Amino acid sequence: MGFSFDSVAALPSIGGLATESATVAFIQPSTALQLLAFAVLLGGIYGLVALGLTMIFGVMDVINFAHGAMMVVGMYTVWWTATAFGLHPILSIPLAVLGLFAIGVLVHLTTISSIMDAPQENQLIVTFGIMLILISAIEITFSTDPQSLGLGLGSVAIAGVFLPLGQLYALLISISAVVVVWLFLQRTQLGRAIRGTADDRTAAQYVGINVPRIDYLTFGIGAALAGLAGAVIPLFQQINPYLGDSYLINAFVIVVLGGLGSFPGALLGGLIVGFVHVFGQYFLPGSGYQISIFLIFILVLLLKPEGLLGGGVSE
Amino acid sequence: MSNADVSSRLDQARRQYRTFQSKWYATPAILAGIFGLLLVLPLVLDLYFFGFSLGSWISVHVLVITLVWATAAQGWNVMSGYTGQFSFGHAAFFGLGAYGTILLLNTAGLNPWLGMLIGATVASLYGLLIGVLCFRYDLRGHYFALATLAFAELLRHTFNTFSQLGGASGYFKPLPRSYGAEFGFAAFQFRETLPYYYIILGFLVVVTAVSLAIKQSRLGLYLFAIREDESAAAAVGIPTFRYKLVGIGVSAFFTAWAGAFWAMYFDTIRPDTVYELLVNVEILLPAIVGGVGTVIGPIVGAFVVIPLSEVARQSVDITGFDRVIYGLLLVGIVLYSPQGAISWPRRAVELLGAYGPSKRNASATADDDE
Repeated sequence: MGFSFDSVAALPSIGGLATESATVAFIQPSTALQLLAFAVLLGGIYGLVALGLTMIFGVMDVINFAHGAMMVVGMYTVWWTATAFGLHPILSIPLAVLGLFAIGVLVHLTTISSIMDAPQENQLIVTFGIMLILISAIEITFSTDPQSLGLGLGSVAIAGVFLPLGQLYALLISISAVVVVWLFLQRTQLGRAIRGTADDRTAAQYVGINVPRIDYLTFGIGAALAGLAGAVIPLFQQINPYLGDSYLINAFVIVVLGGLGSFPGALLGGLIVGFVHVFGQYFLPGSGYQISIFLIFILVLLLKPEGLLGGGVSE
Repeated sequence: MSNADVSSRLDQARRQYRTFQSKWYATPAILAGIFGLLLVLPLVLDLYFFGFSLGSWISVHVLVITLVWATAAQGWNVMSGYTGQFSFGHAAFFGLGAYGTILLLNTAGLNPWLGMLIGATVASLYGLLIGVLCFRYDLRGHYFALATLAFAELLRHTFNTFSQLGGASGYFKPLPRSYGAEFGFAAFQFRETLPYYYIILGFLVVVTAVSLAIKQSRLGLYLFAIREDESAAAAVGIPTFRYKLVGIGVSAFFTAWAGAFWAMYFDTIRPDTVYELLVNVEILLPAIVGGVGTVIGPIVGAFVVIPLSEVARQSVDITGFDRVIYGLLLVGIVLYSPQGAISWPRRAVELLGAYGPSKRNASATADDDE
C-alpha cells in the first residue's frame, strides 16, 4: 500500500548547487554558508514537528504514531481553506491549530484515555490505526495528487545566501510557537501542572492535579502543534497525503535524540537532523542522508538512551 | 543444589505450569483441526452451498496472502509475544528473507530453496545484532520498539540507495529456465496459484510446530518468565539476555521465510514493498488480533484481518477505504478485545452464561487455548 518516506521535497535549489560544485573536492565557503542556512531553516521545522511529539511522549508516555497524519490534516486544512475560500494562508494557520486541538482531544477521549494503563504497545497500535484512518480520509477526500498553494513568495538574499521566504516565515512561526508553548509551560498554573505530571504521574495525582484532564489537554496541545507544523509546510512545499510520514520518522529520531520530554532537546535534535539532512543530501548519493540519520539515531539510542539533553523525564 | 537437581525441579515446574494452563493436547488438537481445514479449504472454494460459494468472496490468492502474514506473525510472536519485547521492525527480517532469496537467485543463480535458508540465516544474524545492541543497553518498551523500527528503516534506505542491492526499482524474479530446469517444486515457481498455497501452508505448519515446541519446552517457560517480570526472571537465575537473543534469532529466521515466499510468489520486490512501514504492522497485526503469545492466535488473527480488508478493497470502489477498515480494526481490537480473537468463543459462552437460559454450565467451558 502506497506509503513513501522519500517525499520530503528537497529544498529546490540544492540540486543546482550540487551540479555546480560536483568537481570541486572541497566545499566553497559560500556553498557551506548556503547549506548552513538551509539546514537551520529545515531544522527549525523539524524541531517544531518534534515538539508536539515530545510533549505527548514526556507527559503521557505515549508514542503518537498519528502525529504525522495530524500534520497532514493541518496541511490540507490550510491548502483547502486557501484554495476553496480564498482565505490567506497565514490566516488559516490558526484554524488548523484549533481544528487539530479538537481532533486531538476527541481522539484522546475516545481511544487513548481508556488504555493509558495498558501495555505500551497498545497505544502504539491504536495511534497507528488512527494514522491509517486520518491519512485514508484525506486520500479519499482530496485524492493522492500533490497539491500546491502556488504562493511563489520568492526569496531574499543576505550576504550572498538565499533564504526562501516561505521557509523563513515557517521558521519564524515555529520559533514563536516554541516560545509561546515554553512560556505557557513555565508561567501558567496549567503549564506547571503539565510539567508536574510529566515528572511523576502518581505524585501529581496526590497533590491534587487532575491527571486525566492534563492528559487530554496534553494530547490536544500535542495535536495542535502537529497541526501547526503541518500548516506551515504548504508555504514552501507541495503537499500530498503521505508527506507526514517522512517528517514523522525523523521526528521520532529527534525526540529520542534530544531526550524524551525535553523541549530544548527537541530543538537541538531538530537542528542536528536538519544539518544531516541538508549536508547529507548534498554529499551522499540517494537517500544516504536518511541512512546517516538512522545511524546517528541508533548510536545515540545505544550510548545515551535518555537522549542528549534528557534526564528530566525518565521512563 | 546440583545441576541435575535444578533441572528436575524445573521440569516439575514446567509440568505444573502446563497443566495449570490447559490440557497438553488441547492446543495440538485445535491446530490439527485448523490445518486439516486449511488443507481442503481451496478445494471447496468453488462448491456451492445454498446458492453461495466461498469462492465469490475470497480467492486462492487471498488465502495465500493470508497464510504469508500468518507465517510472519507466527515468527513475530515467538519473540514479541513470548518474551514481551515488542518489535515494530520485523519488516527488516521479512525483507532480508525476500532479498536474500532473490539476490542470490539473480546474481549467482542459486536455487531459491537454498537462497531462502541463507536469507533467513542473514536475517537471523541481523536479529542477533539488533538484540545484542539493544538488550546489552537494556532498551525496553517504546525505546526498543523505536530502535527496531529504525533498524528496519535503515535497511529500506540502504537497499533504496545502493544499486548493487537492486536500488529503488528492486528485482524482477527470473523465469525458472534461467536458473533451473522448469517450473515446479525444485524451481520454487509454478504456473498456478494452488501449489504456492500448499507450500506456504507447509511453511506455516513448520513454523507453528516449532513455535508450539518452544512454548511447551523449558525454553518457553523462560521466555514467558521474561515477559511477566524480567527482573524477577533474572533474579532466579534465568540468563535473560541470552534467552532474549534466542527469541529474536528464531523469530527473525521464520519471519524471513515468509519474506522469501513473498519474493517467489510475486514477480517483483522493491524496498518499498518489503521494508515499508506498513509491513511492520501487517506482520504483527495477525498476532495482536488473534491473541499475543498464543500459538493459535496468529493463524486465527490472519484469517480475521486479511480477508476482511480484501473484501473491503474489492466491494467498495474507493481508494483507501480498505485502510480505513484496517485502522478501525486496529483501534477496535486493542480497545475492546485485548485478549484477541481466540478469546471470543469463551467470551460468547460467558455472555450466554450471564444472559442466556442456563447459568450453571458457563464456568466449565473456560478451558480454551492458553
